[in-house]
Amino acid sequence: MKKIVVPGELVTEQRKRSGEHVYTFNGKIYSDVVGMTDNESTTASVVPLKGFYVPKQDDIVVGLIVSELFSGFLVDINSFYFSFLSKERLREPLKRGSIVSVRISRVNELNEADVSDARVFYGGEIFSILPVKVPRVIGKNASMLETLRRGTNSNIVVGRNGWVWAKGGNTSLLSNALKRIENEAHTPNLTNKITEFLLKEKK
Amino acid sequence: MTKEEKKIYVNKKGLRLDGRKVDETRPIKIKAGVLENAKGSCYLEWGQNKVLVSVHGPNEVLPKHMSNPLRAIVKFNYRMAAFSVPDRKNPRPGRRDIEISKVCGEALEKAIFLEKYPNSQIEVWAQILDSNAGSRAAALTAASVALADAGIPMKDLVTAVAVGRIDGKIVLDLNKEEEDAPDAVDMPIALMSNSKEIVLLQMDGLFSKKEWEEAFELAAKGIEEIKKLQVKALKEQFEKTLAQELAEEKKTETKKEETSKKEEKDSKKDSEKEVKTEVH
Repeated sequence: MKKIVVPGELVTEQRKRSGEHVYTFNGKIYSDVVGMTDNESTTASVVPLKGFYVPKQDDIVVGLIVSELFSGFLVDINSFYFSFLSKERLREPLKRGSIVSVRISRVNELNEADVSDARVFYGGEIFSILPVKVPRVIGKNASMLETLRRGTNSNIVVGRNGWVWAKGGNTSLLSNALKRIENEAHTPNLTNKITEFLLKEKK
Repeated sequence: MTKEEKKIYVNKKGLRLDGRKVDETRPIKIKAGVLENAKGSCYLEWGQNKVLVSVHGPNEVLPKHMSNPLRAIVKFNYRMAAFSVPDRKNPRPGRRDIEISKVCGEALEKAIFLEKYPNSQIEVWAQILDSNAGSRAAALTAASVALADAGIPMKDLVTAVAVGRIDGKIVLDLNKEEEDAPDAVDMPIALMSNSKEIVLLQMDGLFSKKEWEEAFELAAKGIEEIKKLQVKALKEQFEKTLAQELAEEKKTETKKEETSKKEEKDSKKDSEKEVKTEVH
């Protein structure tokens, strides 16, 4: 059975391996965020329903160029600080306001990240979703992303930081669909619902 | 004041001036996630008190010299709106605002896992829109809901309430009229209810040791009730859609059952017919 827990709520009294977003107190396992937990699983963990992006190495994120420095650029990746993108091995010309997708090459203990492997996007829009709901927008084997692509005819790139770049097709429909996924991320059978929603709205 | 004019704060039936029992709080209403552009937010009504709290962060500390490379810092801002009290309040943060910001911030620091986000700050803005005694308890209660709504890892929700003594009786959640009683003692207290850890304790007046013990027990009981409301407010955002989901599922199930029953009936009729034909 899946259930919703809040900070300080008991996840399990059994001895289990503790996963993410839990802590032990007096031999019992408690949640530290608002999220969902499955008491049938072998590890005690909570999948957060609210949260922010903490950079991790090798994440692909969508970023916005904020300013140019002597040897690189500062990129806003929707995290604690702006990240540094080196000009070395950078082929495309970038300027303030360019949208890029970058790979996080290194994160230090203060959560400051350096980024590399920039890919520039020309035109398009950025949509913002909660970073904890990115796995839902992609789906198992990218099933949800495929549904969105087919339903809206847009080019879509989903960054791990909760920013979604989209160009062409019906972007206003995409925006509505993303909002719906965000609101109903904790409910089952979401891909089918979104498929229905997109078909209905298309007409 | 003559004897006849003396107010009776707790009458013979054990009811107070506004009709509450001794261990009863004013009506509380909590709603989480009310602001679009804040990471987390909460609106709380506690009797006449109205509080709006928003949470931003964790992000870079400014000014930079305040940052701590080992843990995050909490910046709690308690501000009373100019129209929140009967006379106009000077909106400039005064001695009282600064003090409450400090104690409430320190109370929340105990609950948050600060060491996860070194060198960063978590900003909490508590705006008091209307007040009638007990606004720091209201602000702290709302702030912990807003922090949970922002997805910041916490040990437990912080819940606050005020207890006090009027006319020699220990009562829960004093309002302004009771606070102004001649021998009144007012003690705001905040707990993390799992570990029973006290994170805020202030006292205006004096309690005897026995009175303090009684007051603490009463506060702990009140806090349990208020925590239920906090949890409900946080879960409500998701469970509404879940409840709708379940209702829809039920509808489809009942439809299915109806159709299956019809089919069964039809098949029964068919079998009866078959039997009849066999008899013939």
